[in-house]
Amino acid sequence: MNTSRRVPVTILTGFLGSGKTTLLNRILTEEHGKRIAVIENEYGEVGIDQALVINADEEVFEMSNGCICCTVRGDLIRVLNNLNKRRDKFDYVLVETTGLADPGPVAQTFFMDDELRAEYSLDGIVTLVDAAHINQQLGRSKESTEQIAFADVLLLNKTDLVNGEALDSLEARLRGMNRMARVVRSERANVPVDTVLDLGAFNLNEVLERRPTFLEPEYPFEWTGVYSLDAGRYELKLAEGPDPAMSLIVVSGQATDDAALREGAEWCVREYAEPAEIIQPGGEIPFDKHVNLRLDVPGSKSFFLEVDTPGLFGLYAQHLAEEFQLHLRNADGAVVPVKADRTWVAQHEHDDEVGSISIERDGDCDPQRLDDWLSKLLSERGVDIFRMKGFISIAGDSRRFVFQGVHMLFDGQPEREWGDAPRRNQLVFIGRNLDGQSMREEFEACLV
Amino acid sequence: MSGLKAGSPTGVLDRGWSATVGDYAIAGGWVLGGEALVVGDAGGGVYGFDGRSGAAVWERHEVHEGGVLAMAIHPSGTAFATAGQDGRVLIWSAAEGQVARSIDVGSGWVENVSWSPDGQLLAASCSRQVCAYDADGAEVWRSDDHPSTVSAIAWSSIKELATACYGRVSFFNPSTGSLRQKMEWQGSLVSMVLSPNGDIVVCGSQDNTVHFWRRSTEQDSMMSGYPGKPSALAFDSAGTLLATGGGEAVTVWSFRGKGPEGTRPGVLEFHQESITTLTFAPGVRRLASGARDGAVVVWSLQKNGNGSPIGAEDVGDSVAELYWRPDGDGLAALDAQGGVTVWRIGPVNGRTSRPRAAQRTSSSGG
Repeated sequence: MNTSRRVPVTILTGFLGSGKTTLLNRILTEEHGKRIAVIENEYGEVGIDQALVINADEEVFEMSNGCICCTVRGDLIRVLNNLNKRRDKFDYVLVETTGLADPGPVAQTFFMDDELRAEYSLDGIVTLVDAAHINQQLGRSKESTEQIAFADVLLLNKTDLVNGEALDSLEARLRGMNRMARVVRSERANVPVDTVLDLGAFNLNEVLERRPTFLEPEYPFEWTGVYSLDAGRYELKLAEGPDPAMSLIVVSGQATDDAALREGAEWCVREYAEPAEIIQPGGEIPFDKHVNLRLDVPGSKSFFLEVDTPGLFGLYAQHLAEEFQLHLRNADGAVVPVKADRTWVAQHEHDDEVGSISIERDGDCDPQRLDDWLSKLLSERGVDIFRMKGFISIAGDSRRFVFQGVHMLFDGQPEREWGDAPRRNQLVFIGRNLDGQSMREEFEACLV
Repeated sequence: MSGLKAGSPTGVLDRGWSATVGDYAIAGGWVLGGEALVVGDAGGGVYGFDGRSGAAVWERHEVHEGGVLAMAIHPSGTAFATAGQDGRVLIWSAAEGQVARSIDVGSGWVENVSWSPDGQLLAASCSRQVCAYDADGAEVWRSDDHPSTVSAIAWSSIKELATACYGRVSFFNPSTGSLRQKMEWQGSLVSMVLSPNGDIVVCGSQDNTVHFWRRSTEQDSMMSGYPGKPSALAFDSAGTLLATGGGEAVTVWSFRGKGPEGTRPGVLEFHQESITTLTFAPGVRRLASGARDGAVVVWSLQKNGNGSPIGAEDVGDSVAELYWRPDGDGLAALDAQGGVTVWRIGPVNGRTSRPRAAQRTSSSGG
């Protein structure tokens, strides 16, 4: 099987009215030199003669074993296997789903059917989002949530109908559900064609090149400031800000280099899981302990730190310092300068059940332990895992092991040599109610 | 393993002629008692070749826009029907290659076409419907919508047609339109074959199983363990051996005695890639298999389903279909490159005494 010659396939999903037809027309009329075959559901309205448009009923076939991962689109198997026989083959296939479609069976079809798998490769899933209506749709239907979760590209369309602030919060909500996807804004699906075609989205390398930070872990705090403090009493002063409270940990013995900050952050993640001690304005903040500063009284608020042993102290704060004009004064009332600070990718407030879990660890995995863990994870949680991809460093193998998957379907192979590159592991899971903490711990246990 | 090698014309396969059509050779068949071979391709062309020399007798280009999907030879051998992506069925005279009737079946692809055993009715499926037409091309019957696109059709007798789709096999009397029997099973049925007496119906399923029912007792069984989906199925003319694809091996189940339940099938290993087509020679326990690897193999089978290869050749690309000449003394192979290869079947045990050079004729006149 010559994988490079496989015909790429893009799946276009999105609710009715999100602009799928507009985007399709745009792709088909643009000069891109591709021979495109479009598989449309029966009720599509595209009438373009540059491309072959095939109307196929969406036929979702479940198997007798009851496994949702074996559910496929029978119409696609028939139609695409047939199209492939012609000598003048197509360079590209676009599959448009109906608004209410679950993208799972469409994507699974390209993993499950051997003939299709030999001839076609799934390039990416593009989900159009009607900026004006998606919030209601997300509340009402599980399909729209799944369409967001499966996407490689989220095209936030009809942005002219929504104000900027609402768009920002909508984009944040979508990112909270699917951190793997690229979010692109448009008014009338007017995006360059290369935003949606030839993504290589199922190829993690390209995803990482495009968004190198997408695998960065999320933290329950947004900002860390490191201060050098002598013995004495300090005042932590906050102006009025956007929230009625703020969680905080003051870490003693905090160094200023990035490794030390990350180490402190990891420690704080665990500490943040402990219940916080409530501190009212005027109160004293203990060290190395999760506290919650009450900020619901009007005006500026002060809290106090009593330092016995001089040294470096790290403040891991739930919000950015600038949001509250947070600063530290010594007993003389002078502002203490920040020696080092850093912002973190903030954890989303997960109103949505669907979210992304990323795992990033240096080192090698024991293949047996990894296999056992993944088998268990996918058999127990596969139904709730929409997408996964990543690469793994397997002990004893000189090549990077790359993988991707949809639900319980897992597809992986050794890829390029590690060479001199540091050996590490990056995994991303998008799913419903996933427990990131325990998944990270279980992965940790697979390391040699 | 007998030591046969694909590519070397050993065993019973004695290369007769080869030719090419314009595109992927989708379907064909022997007509005029084996005097001619007709072939339809993915480019929508239909071709007639002289059965002995391979000379192109006639060719019709771009008949079915989008390509030919299926073909059925009339039991008399003097006519045949083609079906295509253009939603039409055409009825042809075999000798002249002229279209006698054109039937608009529907707006979707016509993926299956089949003559009743007495040649009185022609059945065709288009999307979720199945239709039956008389010899003049007049519609006799049109079914209601099936639950999904009809994947296979087969006549169980001159009065009864079986249809397969997702989750269901149905038996209809097209003359009255009545539904005579229905068997349900949750699975995507991708292929179907009936035993010659019509009692056993066998379907290959997308989930890599073979499911079958005995109509008289409504007893059903499932064979699993296939590495791929069993899209190729064939019954021998006695109705006792069922050959199934679904991987690189041919698995042969014997229905003798209480089988095949609880018995071990014959496993025929030779092909390097998935089996694409299987067909039994008329009257004898001799099976031809074709695969994606381009190999065509003829097997001699025992009563229990075991067997050994008695001839093999490589046609160079994925084998699309195989057709035994009605007398069983010739075999035609269609392949993905549009190749048409015909062999005479020589005596078993070794090479034919006078090997003949293959003669290649091109249908495009060049």
